[in-house]
Amino acid sequence: MSIEETAYNLIRDSKEGIFQNELWKMLEIDSRKCSRVVSKLLNEDLITREQAVSNGARTYLLKVKEEEKPCFDLLLSGEMFSPCAGCRDACQPEICGKLTAWVENLNDDAETGEMC
Amino acid sequence: MIDLNDLVVRGYLVRLVGEDGLQMIENMPEGEVTDEQIAEATGILLNIVRRTLFILNEHKLAICRRERDSSSGWLTYLWTLDMTDIGPQLLKEKKRLVKNLRTRVKFEEENVFYACPEGCIRMNFNEATECEFLCPYCGEDMMYDDNAGFIEKIEKRLAFLDKEK
Repeated sequence: MSIEETAYNLIRDSKEGIFQNELWKMLEIDSRKCSRVVSKLLNEDLITREQAVSNGARTYLLKVKEEEKPCFDLLLSGEMFSPCAGCRDACQPEICGKLTAWVENLNDDAETGEMC
Repeated sequence: MIDLNDLVVRGYLVRLVGEDGLQMIENMPEGEVTDEQIAEATGILLNIVRRTLFILNEHKLAICRRERDSSSGWLTYLWTLDMTDIGPQLLKEKKRLVKNLRTRVKFEEENVFYACPEGCIRMNFNEATECEFLCPYCGEDMMYDDNAGFIEKIEKRLAFLDKEK
């Protein structure tokens, strides 16, 4: 495992993030090398870095960048899942009764857009 | 690990493999197993187990490995669930739904509909003309069917789906 991967795993495993001046001690490397590792992770867009103070010393708080999970709630109409999934009928959306029932069950309001 | 209690995941799997299939997935033994072992462990009929496994395999949600017995030459099919690909599959479903909703809304906008008040049938203007605005099943007068609300429902959902892309 490369030093970058080890650093990334350490940052990921810490819920609140890790101070950079703690990271290099954990990795048992010097702070200059640690800066390079952090830069690499920042360039790869894997972590975020914000200024922080730890024990009175200015440092950076490193956190893993949250992966944006795609949301599929809009496939649901109430509790009905999209009727097109796994459908083996001849596809005729114009007159499909299952699709009609799904649409009729829709009850979208402003909150629906905020589901995801 | 995917959450089988998630409404979307559950809904998707029920659409694919039905309630029995979902029950099989929930109680599936760990590791590589044969269809017979699954049927025994879950109490689901062997033909339903096989059907479920084939559908899951078709949708890249189950892996199948073939093993030949060196002495008898018999083939054994070993199955493992692998739900890691469910995200891309759901994305495909979303695209399919959007495409079908667009087709439907276009059709609704371009046609005028008449429906039987008894709920027997709904047809467009041309079809209604051919049967002289009388229901071919019960003989009732066909009534104009206002689809504005239906179109609005589709457009609202499409707007949300588009926004999310």
